[in-house]
Amino acid sequence: MRRLIAGLATGTFLLAATACGSSGGSGSSGGGASSGGTTTIKVSTIPIVDTAPLYVGQAKGFYAKHGLKLSISQAQGGAAIVPGVVSGQYQFGFSNVTSLLIAQTNNVPVKAVAEGVNSTGKENADFCGLVVPKGSSITSAKQLAGKKVAVNNLNNIGDTTVRASVRKAGGDPSKIKFVELPFDQMPAALDKGQVDGAFIVEPAFTQAKSEGAKNVGSPFVDAAANLTVAMFFTSQQYAQKNPDVVKRFQAATKEALAYSDKNPAEVRKIVGTYTKIPAALLSKMTLPHWPAEPNQASIETLAKEGRQDGLFKSAPDVDKLMP
Amino acid sequence: MKGLNTALGAAGLAAFLALGEVVPRTGLVKESYFPPTSRIASALWDEITDGAFWSALGDTLTGWAIGLAIAVGAGVVVGVLVSVVPYLREATASTIEFLRPIPSVALIPLAVLLYGTELRSVLLLVVYASFWQVLIQTLYGVQDVDPVAEETARSYGLGTWARVRHVLWPTALPYVMTGVRLAAAVALILAITAELVIGAPGLGQQIAVAQSSQAVPEMYALIVVTGLLGLLINVGARTVERRALAWHQSVRGEVAV
Repeated sequence: MRRLIAGLATGTFLLAATACGSSGGSGSSGGGASSGGTTTIKVSTIPIVDTAPLYVGQAKGFYAKHGLKLSISQAQGGAAIVPGVVSGQYQFGFSNVTSLLIAQTNNVPVKAVAEGVNSTGKENADFCGLVVPKGSSITSAKQLAGKKVAVNNLNNIGDTTVRASVRKAGGDPSKIKFVELPFDQMPAALDKGQVDGAFIVEPAFTQAKSEGAKNVGSPFVDAAANLTVAMFFTSQQYAQKNPDVVKRFQAATKEALAYSDKNPAEVRKIVGTYTKIPAALLSKMTLPHWPAEPNQASIETLAKEGRQDGLFKSAPDVDKLMP
Repeated sequence: MKGLNTALGAAGLAAFLALGEVVPRTGLVKESYFPPTSRIASALWDEITDGAFWSALGDTLTGWAIGLAIAVGAGVVVGVLVSVVPYLREATASTIEFLRPIPSVALIPLAVLLYGTELRSVLLLVVYASFWQVLIQTLYGVQDVDPVAEETARSYGLGTWARVRHVLWPTALPYVMTGVRLAAAVALILAITAELVIGAPGLGQQIAVAQSSQAVPEMYALIVVTGLLGLLINVGARTVERRALAWHQSVRGEVAV
């Protein structure tokens, strides 16, 4: 018996030792390992529809063509992505524009490198909507002034764009009461009347509509024409040290974006591989628009309005952020 | 008696499952938020036949096992050292009592900053949570050593190592085993939490993906899997405990009944 315990104890230490060893090893390879002309880059993203071009580019060989091998990590939210990229655990990350601007004004060294995702630009036909529950007396975004509206993150892109919708409809955007709620819980919260409205994206958007929610505005469309919602970014250190890898990532991403924008059927298929979106929702939901380049004018609008709403400590420098 | 208990247990479970089927079907709760048992079962089958599920299960178990092993190893060694080295217990008591109540989940931001969404963030949380369970049990176990036995061993001229091995360890082992059993359960909770919140690969991440994908039955199916995993780990830990303590009064007593 004692021997068994001694054995168990020894095994434990060996395990502990190997665990420590392996963590030391992977830490040193964080800079993007290259072998035989192929550079492996770690990209931190969120498992949502918006990031489909990355998977399309991987499957279609756009990244391989430019000598890049993708290792995609799925984070649960943007909060884990920015620190991971800045500390060098990942070479690239995916983040919404407002979060990047917030990072920049907090002196976090981020640098946008490529377009991520755009709104469709079509009112009431975007992948993001401002919805009210079934049977609500609200028929226009204007009436949401003074009402409770759910956003996935307070003081972020949801605030700015929902305010834009209400302002456009003639309401007072300063009177909206924002509450924080994850997208996936919004359909239930609307259904139970816990909130008067919700800033919601796909696939929860289609789910909410199928339960009778009404679309009263398209925040991403109302905020700016052809709004760039999110971008791929890297750290300033990495961009300075590896201009060649960044260039190749930009070129490959551009091809992946263009291909995804033209082939919605393939996008829907690939989204089904990295999410668990049920087939019925997958075929019905609205896909975003993936242009090749980010729209700087729309980002400047987000920066200006966000500054007015007090989202940033100082005025963001959009030129410095952009590729 | 045992047969009756098993039958009652099975009947209870069957009634619970039937309730899960009937309540959503009758519309007491919405089917889209709480799918009936049969939908969950079919989603579970879809998961089991999917390779991604098994690799996620493997990731979760890897994080759990490595984390638990480190916590048990470190907890036992630190516990014995702190008790054996004079004055160390008094010197560390306040620090331990300060660090121990910090909930492991409060360290999530730290884990994300240090290790991103990798296995190491899971390990940090798992080890932090389960280490204290083992350490505290080891400390109490060592305290329980019979002074007469200790003095007797001393008078027979046993060295420090021999006393640790023949007097201290057998006394502390039942406590340590309790610590290990508690740590095994805590380690699973923290592994799943880390995956769910941070997005490190594993069952927790799969649950989060199902949730954000509006795939409600799949989400419940994965939750059922984590429950089964907890059950298996508890049964496994009890078996190990019984084996390691086969000589001990507590276990021998149980067998006699």
